[in-house]
Amino acid sequence: MTRLKDLQERFQAGILSGDDTILADVQDSARETRSVLFGVYRNAYVARLVEVLGNDYQELHAYLGNKTFAKLATAYVAAHPSDQRNARWFGRHLPRFAKGTEPFAGHPEIAEIAALEKALDDAFDGPDAAPLTIGDLAAIPSEDWPRLVLKPHPAVIRLSFTTNAADIWSALKDETPPPAPSRLPEPQALMVWRQDYMARFRPLSAEEAMMWDEAAQGVRFGVLCEMVATFAGEDEAELRAATYLKTWIDGGMLAGCKSQQALGEAQSGAPSSGAGNKASLRPVSQ
Amino acid sequence: MSDHKPPYLGFGLGLRPQHYEEILSGNPEIDWFEVISENYMVPGGQPLRILDQIRERYPIVMHGVSLSIASTAPLDMDYLGALKTLAERVNPRWISDHLCWTGVHGVNLHDLLPVPYTREALDHVVDRVTRVQDFLGRRLTLENVSSYVTFGESEMNEWEFVSEVANQADCWLLFDVNNVYVSAFNHGFSTDAFLHGVPQDRIVQFHVAGHSHEESHIIDTHDHPVCEEVWDFYREAMTHFGPVSTMIERDDNIPPLAEVVAELDTARKIAREVQETARKHAQTVAAE
Repeated sequence: MTRLKDLQERFQAGILSGDDTILADVQDSARETRSVLFGVYRNAYVARLVEVLGNDYQELHAYLGNKTFAKLATAYVAAHPSDQRNARWFGRHLPRFAKGTEPFAGHPEIAEIAALEKALDDAFDGPDAAPLTIGDLAAIPSEDWPRLVLKPHPAVIRLSFTTNAADIWSALKDETPPPAPSRLPEPQALMVWRQDYMARFRPLSAEEAMMWDEAAQGVRFGVLCEMVATFAGEDEAELRAATYLKTWIDGGMLAGCKSQQALGEAQSGAPSSGAGNKASLRPVSQ
Repeated sequence: MSDHKPPYLGFGLGLRPQHYEEILSGNPEIDWFEVISENYMVPGGQPLRILDQIRERYPIVMHGVSLSIASTAPLDMDYLGALKTLAERVNPRWISDHLCWTGVHGVNLHDLLPVPYTREALDHVVDRVTRVQDFLGRRLTLENVSSYVTFGESEMNEWEFVSEVANQADCWLLFDVNNVYVSAFNHGFSTDAFLHGVPQDRIVQFHVAGHSHEESHIIDTHDHPVCEEVWDFYREAMTHFGPVSTMIERDDNIPPLAEVVAELDTARKIAREVQETARKHAQTVAAE
């Protein structure tokens, strides 16, 4: 298999790095030189992957315009030869690449627009999971609520932006002139998720973002309520926490919950795993 | 593995997201759909849900673009595992990919790269097809690709290579009418030689597609309507092979569904004419 292996290595080098050694292996046709014919593969490689990036990052493409987007995309293709069978994942490093590569790094909204588009794509075809419902929660005795640990839906993604990239993206999506890029006085928290099979996003208040992030870390609901009270005052803290929780459930952002004992707390029996209507709560006996 | 040749499915289209809504709301008269396997090798969400809905209504064939059966890189068992999982969900009538390679050393060039037609490459591909078929528990269907370069070291022509792979590995063939036309132009061989050089009993599917003519060579772009010359060759192929499941392949500049369905109607019309000619010929022979 040595000859075939060597040939394929030369062929790939000819596409990736412009090495012409491969031209000794191929022939002119009756109508065209081998250089032009091999060039079909060279050109197709870059063009195809730039097209993939253009499809994955449509609003970034609109924001930058053809010329600058092509510059970004071509630089990315050169820096990141695809290591994926599925072109769906080829552009996954683009936000990081834009953030760390001049001249794009000097315009932080570029990496953030890319991050939002990537998150929307990832939410769109992210893992399936049965969403937690209000009915599921209602079936849990109120005395168990403080011990509840919420499970984020696996397709939910949290972002934090330093620029108005989300507003720019929204304007471009609506085909209206985007606002000028600007740095925000405070980082903007965003939630990206899938609802009714569509990827969506919305900004979160600082309080909701804090509660979500802590919940996603496995902090129990009772502690979350205390944190909310500390964050923005005890007045109606439980109501605020419950409102966030309801919003997350309505949006399909949670995929279950379990009742967790605090350290040192006596085991009071696992939540009733025998209750049929709690099947999607994924109760866990500890 | 079953010895039965996959069933004749009629006239199908490549399933494209742009047409999802119209297909699901209109139930258009399309006999079957070919899906790009990789498009549904995703964790979840709408693509798989739509695929589930469409497979309830139409027969499905899975068509991959990154099996890389001729690569000298090791077989990608993660990819094959995902392919098998998708096949278990979709229950396709057959699984196809291309007689080509897509990269080595962990790189995927996202292209259908040509193989030198050597004994060494033949043995390599036959071994890999056999292993993949054993893993999937079913026969593969391999498609001839369009190519732009000819290797000096080739020891046989393309149709001999394709036929040997099919016969030795005991797999099916997807006869891409457009690819034969494109490669014949690019390399200066006769489309008829290819047509008559591959084993009829191995052919389970036709692809028909458009291409871009660059004067000195043709590029297989799948972004144009099917041209007259390719339709003429399709007629020849239908005449030679008999009824073969036919599918219109459009991957870029994707037009409204009605336009692709109209191309499918052209294929149906040609097939009817071929059958009518064959029937009259049979009657004439019987009368003699």
